[in-house]
Amino acid sequence: MTITATHLGRRARRRSAHWHPYALIAPAALLVAVFLVYPVASVFYYSLQTYNVTMPLYNGFVGFGNFVEIFHDEKFWNSLAFTFKWVVVEIALQFVFGLILALLINQAFKGRGLVRSLVFTPWAVAGILTTTIWLLIYNPTTGVGRYLADMGLIPYGTSLLSGEGTAFWAAVLAELWKGAPFFAILILADLQSVPAELYESAEMDGAGRIRKFLSITWPHIRLAVVIATLLRAVWEFNNVDLLYTLTGGGPAGSTTTLPLYVAQTAIYDRDFGYGSALTVIAFILLIIFTVVYLRMNRFGKDD
Amino acid sequence: MRSQSQGTKRWIAAAVAVTSVTAVAGCSSDDGGAANGDGGDVVLELWDTDTRPERTANLETLIDMFEAENPGITIEYLGLPTDSYMQKISTAISTNSTPDLLTPKASDISALVAQGALAPLDDMFAAGGWEDKIDPVMVESTRAAAPDGSLYITPATALVDVLYYRADWLEEVGVDVPQTWGDFENAVAAMTDTSSGRFGYTIRGGSGFFPGFMDMVYTRAGIGEIFDADGKATLDDPAIVKAAQEYVDLYKTTTAESDLTADFKVMIAQFSGGGAGTLTHSIGSYPTILEALDPEQVAVTLPYPGENGTQVISQLTTGFGMFASSEHKEAAQKFLEFTMGEEGNSFWAEASGYMPGNTAVADEPWVAESKALAAAAEARSNTSAVPLNVPYYLPEWTSITGTDMLPDWQAVLQGNMTVEDFCAKYATALTEAQKRYEEAMK
Repeated sequence: MTITATHLGRRARRRSAHWHPYALIAPAALLVAVFLVYPVASVFYYSLQTYNVTMPLYNGFVGFGNFVEIFHDEKFWNSLAFTFKWVVVEIALQFVFGLILALLINQAFKGRGLVRSLVFTPWAVAGILTTTIWLLIYNPTTGVGRYLADMGLIPYGTSLLSGEGTAFWAAVLAELWKGAPFFAILILADLQSVPAELYESAEMDGAGRIRKFLSITWPHIRLAVVIATLLRAVWEFNNVDLLYTLTGGGPAGSTTTLPLYVAQTAIYDRDFGYGSALTVIAFILLIIFTVVYLRMNRFGKDD
Repeated sequence: MRSQSQGTKRWIAAAVAVTSVTAVAGCSSDDGGAANGDGGDVVLELWDTDTRPERTANLETLIDMFEAENPGITIEYLGLPTDSYMQKISTAISTNSTPDLLTPKASDISALVAQGALAPLDDMFAAGGWEDKIDPVMVESTRAAAPDGSLYITPATALVDVLYYRADWLEEVGVDVPQTWGDFENAVAAMTDTSSGRFGYTIRGGSGFFPGFMDMVYTRAGIGEIFDADGKATLDDPAIVKAAQEYVDLYKTTTAESDLTADFKVMIAQFSGGGAGTLTHSIGSYPTILEALDPEQVAVTLPYPGENGTQVISQLTTGFGMFASSEHKEAAQKFLEFTMGEEGNSFWAEASGYMPGNTAVADEPWVAESKALAAAAEARSNTSAVPLNVPYYLPEWTSITGTDMLPDWQAVLQGNMTVEDFCAKYATALTEAQKRYEEAMK
């Protein structure tokens, strides 16, 4: 009787030991299922449908019809090409300016704390506020253009946001203002961990500024640059808030990124089927980019 | 002791799991939507599709007036952003969290009816005898905007599109207020002085350009139909292409280059702020314009008759609608009727600068005193004028004339696409959309 009771108790403990870990991961698993798996699965599902809430007459399963249409959609190819250009230009400029900023504010000088705070401020400003600031700057009636026109430097009634070819650079500048501090923050954190003795001994060996940067600084900040570049590349690819509110993708569609095209299709036209198919393509492109980029940089592996 | 500790840990784990599940479930639950008036006051939720501060203040006054006359009914106001309200409404429809009342435009009806969101108001309209009290043209155009010909919003008010001129600028350059399209061309050219940042006209190159395009192009061509009798779009009609070219030619010669991306807020700011001498917009902008300018500084005319002698009038009904899912339909209908009744209609139309739908209100003195409304009244009394018959019933109307056309329209203004190609491309798109719609309706 005693043996049986002990045996049963052990079995009960073993059973409970079985569900114990599942109960612990259940909240996380549930959150992932609700907020990640379900939305992604739903996008894949709707990508195979014609689904426009305002046109239920035409709704139904179309298989890969949306993808075939996308293949022939000039707007898709244009937005993809623009996205590529946008990401490359933004990341390159943000990296260069972020690195310069980090190197500058890593030097010891009077008022460094204040300067550091000012440098990081744009990153802390909300996207919509960034847009508002730059919209005011670019406004032809109240912005910088008005003062330049008053001085006779440019004609009245012009704006960088509506000039042919200038809207792109106007948007790049606004986003650079916000994005460069992010690079600076991450790079500065790694710069501060470089032991000063390394620079001292390098100087004793006669190393110049460039040699010190390439042999000491760069190896220390490389991982920070890789992760910052990856994060910013994904964020810039997905950039909707700034472009949506600053240029609306215009003029003439010249600043429409792929996610902005998705937003226009799904939000304005409420064509969720086609919008989902575009999203699936963006999703796959980002996964491929992330994997390739991390492999190329041997991320997570020791040198 | 060890086993007790393990048991405690298990209970903690279970409790955390249950709490998290409850929290997640709580995130997705409907928090009630419209307040419930069980046994007490009825609380109605009203969503407004326009959040200009002056309009919000007027609507709140209208609500106060209604509540004073209807004790036991309270209306809660929520303003939605003017350029993205349909997104919020679509989300609410998908999640069954719609309010009781809404302020849609005739152009929104097709999309809302397609989702089964709005309640038809025909029974209420007939029972209240409103057919005899409301302008029949407005009633008819509101019905025509719905695919099934039912009435989904109260034809409480209407907007008519007009041309606003800076009368003081015209006087300065010695030009009379234009009465023909030829006069218009002369006036905007005379008012333009690029060296001082003054432009004769402000063209809508940005978001929502097509209503402005119709006001200036279809009217100038003297064509009021978007589709001919065979269902073919008239956009590539030679008269429309010619008028469109004349409209495009205004860009950069008499307008600011930055108009390429101008939306209605920018245009009104330019006109009121001394940047532009002429503006095409609805009579609803008149109160806003008068905040910056004196009435003497402004002249208002209707768009002029086309070369074929036909005067086309662009009019859009705006009103109040009720969601089909409202649990307080009786109370909501009281408010809808209040907006059409003399007291409510008079206040709302005058404060908003709209044409009143109630025919008794239309005869009130304040209507004749407003320059914008006087122009609208002239349109109403002109029996030979034809309405601009916009196919709001067409499900693809908004997407074609909005997101599809805009980039190409800007390319036309930039000189990268010809007017002929633009008109031909979208005439085809509209004709095909009309065909799809007709086939689906069969």
